[in-house]
Amino acid sequence: MKTSGMRYLAGALVVLVGMWAGLKFHSVHRVSDAVTVPAGVASAPDPKENVAMEAAAHPVVPARLPDFSLTDLSGKSTSIAAWSGKSLVINFWATWCAPCRREIPLLKTLSADWAGRDLTVIGVAVDYADKVRQFAEQFKIDYPVLIGEQDALEVAAKFGMASPAFPFTVFTDRHGEVVALFVGELHRPQADFILSEVQNLNQERIALPEARRAIAAGLEAMAAKKAG
Amino acid sequence: MKRSLSTVWVALFLLPSMLGLAGFAQAKPWWMRGIDSNETDFLPPDVAFRVAARIDGNVVKVRWVIADGYYLYRQKIAVRAESPDLLVSMPQLPPGTVKTDPYMGTQQVYMQQVEAIVPYSRIDAGAHPLQIKVTYQGCAEAGLCYPPITKVVFPTAGPPAVVASEPPYPWESTAIIGGACAFLLAGLVLRKGRKLELPA
Repeated sequence: MKTSGMRYLAGALVVLVGMWAGLKFHSVHRVSDAVTVPAGVASAPDPKENVAMEAAAHPVVPARLPDFSLTDLSGKSTSIAAWSGKSLVINFWATWCAPCRREIPLLKTLSADWAGRDLTVIGVAVDYADKVRQFAEQFKIDYPVLIGEQDALEVAAKFGMASPAFPFTVFTDRHGEVVALFVGELHRPQADFILSEVQNLNQERIALPEARRAIAAGLEAMAAKKAG
Repeated sequence: MKRSLSTVWVALFLLPSMLGLAGFAQAKPWWMRGIDSNETDFLPPDVAFRVAARIDGNVVKVRWVIADGYYLYRQKIAVRAESPDLLVSMPQLPPGTVKTDPYMGTQQVYMQQVEAIVPYSRIDAGAHPLQIKVTYQGCAEAGLCYPPITKVVFPTAGPPAVVASEPPYPWESTAIIGGACAFLLAGLVLRKGRKLELPA
């Protein structure tokens, strides 16, 4: 009787596992249809490893905000260090990119909502300066925008996006630590969630590794909820 | 002995299912899961948009195979001569699907695949290998766009160009087989010791 029960239990378990694996795989396959591309690591590469080879094979998201300068809307060269001491939301975008355009209202809202709380939204437009200026005026972008062509692509590469896709958004804490890099169109729930963790970090309620892990897990849960 | 054999069978069939689950665990969405992750799942542009060309009489046929969930803008497709003494005409493109975006307006896009017919003439009597330069730009429905891509392609005179399509997940087939095996095993396990009862 006991053996028979175990057998039924094993059978039921296999059925459930098989159904779940098969169905779930089938349902997600066409949504993602993806070949995974290594794109970032949480910490500095192991010094024992061949760093150059590793970097070539796996684009590395820097742990800290890299230094870079690009021109602003008025044509003045501006260093990202001009905002040191503040948390940054650095949004890489282009005028020809539909999801980038769709993000602009959200970024404007975030900029307004977080004003006075040591957080700055910065747009990095990888595009022609005249097009960006015209677009910024038309869409009334009121947060700082830096512009570049090849030089902006090089900046994107510094964030591990050597073969870039837009938009992508980098979140840093007030010490210049990169807390998250979000690839694709950012929506309000994700932005609010990441920024709440950044705020926790800034107020020393959690440590950096913990914040990174919380963001990764939270975004994963959001995506799973959306997909499920 | 009998019992241990059935355990082995269960393990044998359970294993592919578990491997399938492991494969599923690798199937991440298109965004990167924060900096603590080391993978992201948006497709590299050369995988999202695969291009090949072949010569068919006095035209070159350029075909793009577009991954599911991705699209190419019709108006961003351009073809130019790359090899010397080659003249190409404007590519003839089929009508695309109309896509309206409140921030981009209305545009025609291609999904799945598209073929451009490009009439050409050579004034070098075939002294140089035929090369054309193609430019295209596209996005993912999930909210991601790639910068314009320019590639030099070498049209072949052979049979229709087949763009290799590798399975996106190495575990995919395992998962499907695993699922099927699990059902088979379940049937065997549950049926064991029972006679098939047919209606009289």
